[in-house]
This record gives sequence, C-alpha cells and structure tokens, in this order.
Amino acid sequence: MSNSSKAAPDPIFAVEHLSLAYSARRGQPAAPILKDVSFTVECGQALTLVGPSGSGKSSLLRCLNRLEEPSAGEVRFEGRDVQSLDPRRLRRDAAMVMQSPVLFEGTVRDNLRLCPAGTGGDFSEARLARTLGEVGLDKELLERDASTLSGGEKQRVTIARALLGDPRVLLLDEPTSALDPPNAALVVETVSRLCEMRGLTIVAATHQPELIRRLGGMLMYLVRGEVRAYERVDQLAARADDRLHAFLAGERTAEGLAS
Amino acid sequence: MNPGVIDLSVWQLGLALLLVVAVAIVSMRQALGLERDLALGAVRTIVQLYGVGLILAAVFAAAQWYWVVLILVAMISVATHAAVSRLTKPLPGAYTIAAVALTVSTAATLAYVIFVVVQVRPWYEPQYIIPIAGMILGSSMTSAALAGERLQGELRARAAEVETRLVLGFSGREAVQPLVRSALRAAMIPTVNGMMTVGLVQLPGMMTGQILAGSSPLVAIRYQIVVMFMLAAATAIGSLIFVHLAVRCYLTPAHQLRRYLL
Repeated sequence: MSNSSKAAPDPIFAVEHLSLAYSARRGQPAAPILKDVSFTVECGQALTLVGPSGSGKSSLLRCLNRLEEPSAGEVRFEGRDVQSLDPRRLRRDAAMVMQSPVLFEGTVRDNLRLCPAGTGGDFSEARLARTLGEVGLDKELLERDASTLSGGEKQRVTIARALLGDPRVLLLDEPTSALDPPNAALVVETVSRLCEMRGLTIVAATHQPELIRRLGGMLMYLVRGEVRAYERVDQLAARADDRLHAFLAGERTAEGLAS
Repeated sequence: MNPGVIDLSVWQLGLALLLVVAVAIVSMRQALGLERDLALGAVRTIVQLYGVGLILAAVFAAAQWYWVVLILVAMISVATHAAVSRLTKPLPGAYTIAAVALTVSTAATLAYVIFVVVQVRPWYEPQYIIPIAGMILGSSMTSAALAGERLQGELRARAAEVETRLVLGFSGREAVQPLVRSALRAAMIPTVNGMMTVGLVQLPGMMTGQILAGSSPLVAIRYQIVVMFMLAAATAIGSLIFVHLAVRCYLTPAHQLRRYLL
C-alpha cells in the first residue's frame, strides 16, 4: 500500500546483512544464530527456508515479524524499517503460523474472532465460513470446541485465523512438522492453494519437498545461520545431480542436506 | 507482672532440650542420619532466639522511633533475600523488585493497622509495631515468592501461547495477562484458605501467645481477626507489585518475550 510512484512497488521484505546472536549469559559468549543474511521477497512471491534443525530458519522468520531483535542488519517491510513500525501492526500484516498450533479455550469461532480490542476487521459469519472454506474446512466446524479438533484441523484453523487479519504476507514456521503424514499433506495442499489461487506472499520454513515445489519462488538453504544456497526453485528442480535437487525430488531428508 | 505467666528458668529450658535429645536417639536407632542437623538446629534455635530477644529487649527499653525503623529495615532485607532465593531461575533485578514489593506492602498495611485500626500511640510503640510488622512481612514474603515462582513456571510452560497472542497483534501485557492472573491466584489462595479454617484446625500462633500471656481469649480473637484481614491485604499488595514488576523483565517495549530468561 506504498505510494504508487512510477518506480516498482517496494518488496514485501528486504533484508540486508541480518545477524542475530542471543544475548550472552553470564560467563558465556553470545551464540551466533544468523550470520549476514540478505534477501528480498517480492509481492506475490514465495521464499522457502530449508536447512537442518538449528540452522536459524525459525529465528529468521521471527526477525521478520520482530519477535526477535536482530543484533545487526536491517529488515524492511514494504520499504520501511521494521524498527519504525508498531510491532503489533507489523505482526498482523506479516501473520505467522507456528509449528505447533495453539488454540485457546472455546469454540473454533471464538478462536477465529480472537484479536486485540480496538482492531477493526470483518468477522461476520459469512467471512468466517468463507475463510474456513479457503483452508479446506467446513463451516460446521465453527461451533466445535477447539480442543476436539485433530492436529491438521487445528493447524488449518490457525491459518484461517491468520488470514482473517488481512495479512500481506504469511510466515509459516514448519507448519507440517508436528503433524502426521495425512494431516501434513492437507496443510501442504491448503498453503499451496493460498499461494496459487490467492497470490498470497509466503515465507515458509519447511521440510516438505511437495510444498517447496508448489510454492515455487526462491529457496534459501541455511546451515548454522549462514546462507549456503539461494536459488530459484524451478532452476533447482530442472538441474540434476544436486543435493538440493535430490531433496526437492523427495529422495533426501533435510538433515541429509548438511552432509 | 501478669500472674498468668510462669517465667522459665535455664533449667527448665534444659528439660525442654531433652525432647530434642530423645528425637536424636530415635534418629540414631533408625539410622535417619538427622543427628547433626538436629544438633545444629537446636543450637541455631537457641542462638537466634536469644539474639533476637536481646535486641528486642534493648529496642523495647529505648522505645525510640529510629531503632524501630532500623529493625524494620533489617527485617525487610532478610525477607527480600529469602523471597529471591526461592525463585527457581535467576531473574535480573529480582532483589530490587522483591525489596520494592515487600517494603510497599509492609508499609501500607502496617500504617493502616497501626494508625487507623489499632490506633497505637506513639506509633512506634515496639510492643505492637514489631510483632505486627513481622507477621505482615512473613505473609508478603511467602506470597511474593509463590507468585514469582508460579509466574516463571507459567511463562516456561505457556511461552508458545504467549507468542501466539503476540503474533495476533496483542501487546506484551495483554499476551501475559492470563499467566499473571494465575500467578496472583496461586499467591493469594493460601491466605484465603487460611481465613476459611482459622480457629477450627489450629489456633494461630499470635492468639496462642496472647492467651498464654494472660489475655482473655475474647481480646485475643479480636486481635486475630485484625491479623487475618491485614495478612490478606499484605499478600495481595506484595504479590501484585512483585508480579507486575517481574513480568516487565520478561517483556520488551517492542512486545517481545525474552525467551532466554525462561
């Protein structure tokens, strides 16, 4: 929603030389989590983050919506330094879906309508039903006690809850890794469709080759906080004899990428 | 002076010590390994109480406000240390937080009881202010420690829930509100339960002491009623201040949860 001058619109995210180190504890040096990471995410584009556990994928996502404070570098959201934005506004515009879905006491409807007092938004029955439909859930579910849902349903409700805030980008932190394969496949399908049909910008940390292929866009391979590869997914997929390629083809696990 | 009180001689104390000796014998026979601690405990009981007795006797005799204030400050310092040492994980600034919580809760409750309720004149009359302050401080200390411990536990267990609220655009304060509530409840429930059973399960120490010292039980219960109400206030104020200051350490102005402190 930036000024529509003749120049190209600002990218959703422009990250420059981002480093993150957790604050040093008494007697211990600061542990580096991310080292000099730079990239941009254009509107409507997808970026997937892959890498072994502990490589900094989650931390990178958490810097984008400012759950984490970088120790160096800059994150710009639609052309503006995130430091200059109200974090609450930023987090609604860059909505995050966490690894393990957290739903609160109450019905699915209560959970979908959960938002800070004073924030506007359309929470009409029609919109709730439509949004549930977008994540592949039936509107009958609105009445259900949230605690009775399956893992896959819970994760899709959290995605619907994120969509209701009208985000400009969705940040997904390993959205399928806490789910069994059939439920994971449903979430992959849901997210892929949001990207393909709605043209929603998505930044996702994931180990699902299927999701990476369908999101397309760029892929960033992180190891111990450093960028080892940053390439277009379609080019990777076209190239044979490559570890990332083998990973995308589902022949390798993400942990195997590190070796 | 009161015909009801029998002054205890050193020999009588020695006879009481025989009770501990008997426990030590049981401990040896049963191989409980508690003899050393029992001996140390007995010695500390004697030394600490004699020490306090001598100091209090001096303060009572002098009856000067500055001695009374000095004793109160010393009591608050010890209580602060005790409250902080009960936290399972260190919290930066815990000493300051505990000191503020205990000082404010004690000062506020004590002032109300001394000036308004009991109307002690002069206000620093050690016979009233010191035991009353001790009871208030004991409760505030326990409740602050309980509240702090519970807050830490809740934050550890429910960090994902807090961050889910942050991600939905809630402020840091709003995100931790349910956890703060549960910490405050945990801190205040023992006092509320105490009010339910007082006099039925056991006679409170102060009331027992007053009756032993020759007061009529009807006078003693009136004091005890005041004490129960004042302890409810002290626990509430102490835990409220402690939790609200402590929770600020876990949040940043940018509505972030400092996970490395958990």
